[in-house]
Amino acid sequence: MDWIRHHPGAAIFTALIGLLIFLWGMAIPLSYAPEPIGPAAELFAEGTRVTVGLTVVSGLAGLVLGVLVGLGNLSPIKPIRWFCAFYVWVLRGTPLLLQILFVWLVLPTLLPAQWSLSDFTLAAIALSLNIGAYNSECVRAGILAVPHGQIEAAKALGFSPFQTFWDIVLPQSMRIALPALANNLASLVKDSSLAYAISVVELTMVGYRIQAESYQPIPVFLTVGAIYLILTTAFTTMTNAIEQMLDVGRKR
Amino acid sequence: MNEHPIIEAIDVHKRYGAFHALKGVTARFYPGEVTAILGPSGSGKSTFLRMLNRLEKHDAGQIFIDGIELNDDPKHLAAIRREVGMVFQNFNLFTHLTVLRNVALAPMRIRKVARKAAETRAMALLERVGLADHAHKYPIQLSGGQQQRVAIARALAMDPKVLLFDEPTSALDPEMVNEVLTVMRELAHTGITMLVVTHEMGFAREVADRVLFFDQGSILEDTTPDRFFNDPAHERARAFLAQVKHGF
Ligand SMILES: Nc1ncnc2c1ncn2[C@@H]1O[C@H](COP(=O)(O)OP(=O)(O)OP(=O)(O)O)[C@@H](O)[C@H]1O
Ligand SMILES: [Mg+2]
Repeated sequence: MDWIRHHPGAAIFTALIGLLIFLWGMAIPLSYAPEPIGPAAELFAEGTRVTVGLTVVSGLAGLVLGVLVGLGNLSPIKPIRWFCAFYVWVLRGTPLLLQILFVWLVLPTLLPAQWSLSDFTLAAIALSLNIGAYNSECVRAGILAVPHGQIEAAKALGFSPFQTFWDIVLPQSMRIALPALANNLASLVKDSSLAYAISVVELTMVGYRIQAESYQPIPVFLTVGAIYLILTTAFTTMTNAIEQMLDVGRKR
Repeated sequence: MNEHPIIEAIDVHKRYGAFHALKGVTARFYPGEVTAILGPSGSGKSTFLRMLNRLEKHDAGQIFIDGIELNDDPKHLAAIRREVGMVFQNFNLFTHLTVLRNVALAPMRIRKVARKAAETRAMALLERVGLADHAHKYPIQLSGGQQQRVAIARALAMDPKVLLFDEPTSALDPEMVNEVLTVMRELAHTGITMLVVTHEMGFAREVADRVLFFDQGSILEDTTPDRFFNDPAHERARAFLAQVKHGF
């Protein structure tokens, strides 16, 4: 959209405020809807907040993880490279649902009993691990796409390897990787619905429960679908705008 | 001329696999000297230049910059890269940073200059290369000649004692070559040591104090521009000059 391109800062601000108003205000108009939606408005709102919470937490953790693993994949140290490649291989080669169930059932047995992680936390861990694997491939490709001349120029100026990475390679590779990372984030909004399997009461689970009580799946799932669309639109608007902001050096 | 060379290369060799790219190069460069490095394609000019700030490692021989030996010691390398700036054929400006930031960043990071001071200095350098008006643009918004002038300002911001130029005008449209050569000409009179790999014979003849002629990985001639252009000692140099005269 043109407007996003010309005013990326305003677009991010608008999408963010819009999202916050939506998350905490949606129950009010929704409560005027007819049965079975109106009486459950507060449940829909709560489920939406859980979905967004899962997305944001796993999205951020997955981004950090993606950068670390993407780097590890390019490490000169072989065991690190092997470990990262193995991680990506496993997480991309098995179903997300299986990963969620595995983390939910196995992780608590490995940790000290007094930690007792919530279902939300366990779902967020599984989602982070999953999106982190996908992100790492984007980050790795982004790093490899930074022209070698940029690195040589930094070296010649006296930048240390870390400074070269932090000031030059990382920002440029993120700019290259961003469209793909944004794509992963948009999928995460939807993939977070799999957390219903470990009884996290996110948006899809709310819909499932309400239709089970009311025997009216059509209005319930249409509402749930509409809410997902609003969420993905808000996230896509923000990532598009961030892309535009990072892209300044590449367009005339 | 000063007694102590700022750059000393002693019997330096470089191999790429089986290919012997530099075959025992020995040369000394003195402070303030402007040296034009000439020679046919593939003769090892870039390899030699890039070895002086360790963008390439030499396999044998020794290199000293301002008395510090160039080797695997990271302290030596850091000290040497602070002293030696480089200007590339393709400019290699940081594409994600503004012109001002390109020039100010290295002093901030490496010399730990405060941002304000670094940017003030960067503005003065941009003024000097005639680009103060473009400080807040991104590299891609500039012409090739302008980008190369920014690249020179960026190298100067570190206050190097030595500036290496690897074919600084070869990637430029003909009408932009002069604006870059003008900046380099002005620099030549400031006392900075310059090593310039170039195909600009006019620049070599008029600005350089000295000409090195590379051929097949060795220095074949090390002489004054006057002698090199009027009375080269080797047949290979004569052939090179004849070819250059008739254009490429
Ligand atoms: N990384 C490399 N791997 C293998 N061979 C290389 C490498 N870099 C340079 N060479 C070879 O070493 C020789 C010298 O290269 P160099 O770039 O120093 O030549 P040059 O004199 O700068 O030539 P030009 O005028 O074309 O830039 C060439 O034959 C080149 O093919
Ligand atoms: Mg070359």
